[in-house]
Amino acid sequence: MSYYFTILSPTDTPIFNIAFGTSKGGGDGIARFRFPDTAQYMNQFIIHSSLDIVEEAQWTNGGMYLKHVDTYPPAAAYISAFLTPSGARFLLLHQPPQLPNSNTGSLGSSSLLGPGGSTTRASSSSIAANPTSPQTEEAVRQFMNEIYESFVKTAMSPFYKQGMEIRSPVFRTKVTAAGKKWL
Amino acid sequence: MAAPRHSAMLSISNNVGTPQSTSSDKTQIAQPQSPAQTPGLRVPSNRKTIYDRHLNRSRNAELSRASFAYLFAEMVTYAQRRVTGIQDLEKRLNEQGYPLGLRLLDLLFYRATSTSSSALSSSSTSSSPPNRPLRILALLHLIHGPLWRLLFQRSADALEHSVSPDTPNEYMITDNDPLVNTYISVPREMSMLNCAAYIAGVIEGVCDGCGFEAKVSAHNQPTEMWPSRTVFLVRFGDTVMEREKVLERQGVK
Amino acid sequence: MSTNKASRIGEEIWKTRVDKVNAELVTLTYGTIVAQLCQDYNSDYQEVNKQLDKMGYNIGMRLIEDFLAKSGVGRCANFRETADMIAKVGFKIFLNVAPTVTNWTSDNNQFSLIFDDNPLADFVELPDDGRAQDELWFSNILCGVLRGSLEMVQVQIEAHFVSDVLRGDDTTEMRVSLVRYIEDEMPPEEE
Repeated sequence: MSYYFTILSPTDTPIFNIAFGTSKGGGDGIARFRFPDTAQYMNQFIIHSSLDIVEEAQWTNGGMYLKHVDTYPPAAAYISAFLTPSGARFLLLHQPPQLPNSNTGSLGSSSLLGPGGSTTRASSSSIAANPTSPQTEEAVRQFMNEIYESFVKTAMSPFYKQGMEIRSPVFRTKVTAAGKKWL
Repeated sequence: MAAPRHSAMLSISNNVGTPQSTSSDKTQIAQPQSPAQTPGLRVPSNRKTIYDRHLNRSRNAELSRASFAYLFAEMVTYAQRRVTGIQDLEKRLNEQGYPLGLRLLDLLFYRATSTSSSALSSSSTSSSPPNRPLRILALLHLIHGPLWRLLFQRSADALEHSVSPDTPNEYMITDNDPLVNTYISVPREMSMLNCAAYIAGVIEGVCDGCGFEAKVSAHNQPTEMWPSRTVFLVRFGDTVMEREKVLERQGVK
Repeated sequence: MSTNKASRIGEEIWKTRVDKVNAELVTLTYGTIVAQLCQDYNSDYQEVNKQLDKMGYNIGMRLIEDFLAKSGVGRCANFRETADMIAKVGFKIFLNVAPTVTNWTSDNNQFSLIFDDNPLADFVELPDDGRAQDELWFSNILCGVLRGSLEMVQVQIEAHFVSDVLRGDDTTEMRVSLVRYIEDEMPPEEE
């Protein structure tokens, strides 16, 4: 599974983002998106196109963790959302590894699908196998909660203003660690 | 895909190392970054940062009320030197309270999710995470109860809705004896000033943060028993009132 | 008066004679003040330090009366006793901390206060602008408070921070130096 995580300010400004891969089931934590050449652009595009749905869910579901909110089939990308009460949005794009029988033309996916490795990786982790399973929802929820804690610590500093980019390397480390731990 | 979002989308910074030209100059925010480019702040040799400090550490901590009064008085005096007139001063105090409201909001919810006895609900039976307020009343209860308790260790004294049909968007939160006014002596020429404008700003921050655009102001409404009684007038914007109607119809609580 | 006795007095007053308020309200309000100053002075941190010191001085001049009334302590016999009074009674009453008094010079005119805890700095991360950690003394208001309050009891001092964990130092340390006792220059107010 490959992940792209971003935090958007209440005015849709990205204030933090990071790409990483699964560490579960022997994963090496490196993101391998299906279209590596355009992954950066695609991920942003997909996340932003889910915002209308997030906004709708925001006013029907009072929870902070909204679970899986949107799917973008062309890229097999799933979006999960977490809303802070102060209006920031945590969005996680997850993309399961491609099945062995599909097109393996791109560089990024072929490395994941090397002989032996990929099958074990995909099947040994329920998270990687099924982005909408209850196990995945729970893992993402834990991941989001952990980041929320770090986010609140960032936001509590008197020098942090809403909408400011989060540049702290420590924060980045915390997010990476949470990804490793839960995803 | 909503059209206005394209610009924001293109401004996302580039962290995976794929070179992506041209788009980044459209915005001043979110420069391309990597840990190597931003070595960050120096930390003590024990490597402790704000991220290592537990958010509940100061939860029940207390400080001297006089210290607060001294600091707050300095804040008002300082603000006074940089403005002309009471309205300006109250506006400035309001603006200083606003970001505090946003911070307290996150802190409140963090604490409610991280502990078994929720700070946001009075019933100790519910262990589920707290809900973001979707309706005006839920928001006002959050302010009147949990927010006030966090700041002043007690709930506010009253919560009312305007009875005038012309102003259905107006709500009042009353504090009979606001802390910010008890120790602050306002100069006579500023007798109209209400330092609770600072707290009004806090409330405004909480409302805005939750997605309820509002203007909040503090008004002196003394009674014989409560000479510094203050009413916080919360006026919600039109979009909030419209959404409220829609949610009402949908049965959202 | 011994350090221990001063500690006991401080504890006792804090427990029984101090009106309390939520610590976070104080912490966050102080943070707001410093952030506002940094904004108003365009991150001219030297100037922010100066302004904080000034605010502290104003506070100190008013706070001493409260301190004397609550503590009931009389004139200190020497500067060492003054140091204990500041650390164990003054800081205890107003900030609920009791910094360690240490690093005396041999003439007993200079000492350091080491803060293990500093409620003013809770939650704070200095701006990552390559300057704040070298130039801003976040808690500088405390220097002014000491200067202002001691001046009201005829003790002229100089105080400045020499290290701060917010800057990445291992300790938060304030250096306090006796300048002089202001004796007999002003007519006594009353006897």
